[in-house]
Amino acid sequence: MDEKELIQLAQAGDFEAFNKLIDANKAKIYALAHKLAGSREDAEDIVQETFLKAIDNIDRFRGESAFGTWLYTIALNQARAQFAKSKQFDLKPIEEYLPAAHEHNHGQGHDHFKLFDWDDPHRILETAQLREIIDAEIAKLPYKYREAFVLRYIEELPVKEVARITKESEASAKSRILRARLALRDALSHIFEERYGRQVQ
Amino acid sequence: MAGKCSEFIGGLNDYIDGALEPELCEEIERHLGECENCRIMVDTLKQTVKLCREGREEKLPAELEGKLNSLLKKRWDEKFRKKE
Repeated sequence: MDEKELIQLAQAGDFEAFNKLIDANKAKIYALAHKLAGSREDAEDIVQETFLKAIDNIDRFRGESAFGTWLYTIALNQARAQFAKSKQFDLKPIEEYLPAAHEHNHGQGHDHFKLFDWDDPHRILETAQLREIIDAEIAKLPYKYREAFVLRYIEELPVKEVARITKESEASAKSRILRARLALRDALSHIFEERYGRQVQ
Repeated sequence: MAGKCSEFIGGLNDYIDGALEPELCEEIERHLGECENCRIMVDTLKQTVKLCREGREEKLPAELEGKLNSLLKKRWDEKFRKKE
């Protein structure tokens, strides 16, 4: 049975058909929610609300997009609504992420400095603890930056798509993505410093 | 040379993600050739994304699956019972 038929059955009240439609998308929606929320508890709330809203609005689904895309949009809106309530701080302007001594260090010593070999990321991600540290740092970003970063670099959407989803101009989406990346780099600097054996901030 | 790093920082994502025009790429690469701090910045920005992507296992937790089924069935029955 194809998606269109399942949607027609679900809209007529067939719960099994609805279940088949959401089964194919549950893991994806949970994964998105977890990345955006940073905690399992918040992710579960987003997932529940997403599917409850899908039930409430199933009659209005007109098949203009794939069912999975519709659910994805509901989940994004739900996450935004959930985090819009929390107090948000702003990130520093881009230029302030430059290291303090940055302007005075040109051409000095680079012949003797060897960049760390990062070819095997698994080597440094071998513990669940590190995964938790990284997720916690992503979760600390103000929501508008977190959302832009997650969509661009974890969901791997093009900047244009991030701008469309977040209802921002491409320039604004780009700026949010860069500021989030710089802020995360700062937050993870202790991990990098261990590898470089020097300060990176 | 002062000010050079701050001129490049706004274009670093596009540079790293391969979305920058070739002439600007060349300019950044010339700068990277002479600025160790910016080389570290580029390298650690790349690794930041790599670290955020790696090691994700995103399966729906079993308890949530069970909870979800009963919650959705309840809402479904409420919605369609009203219609009968």
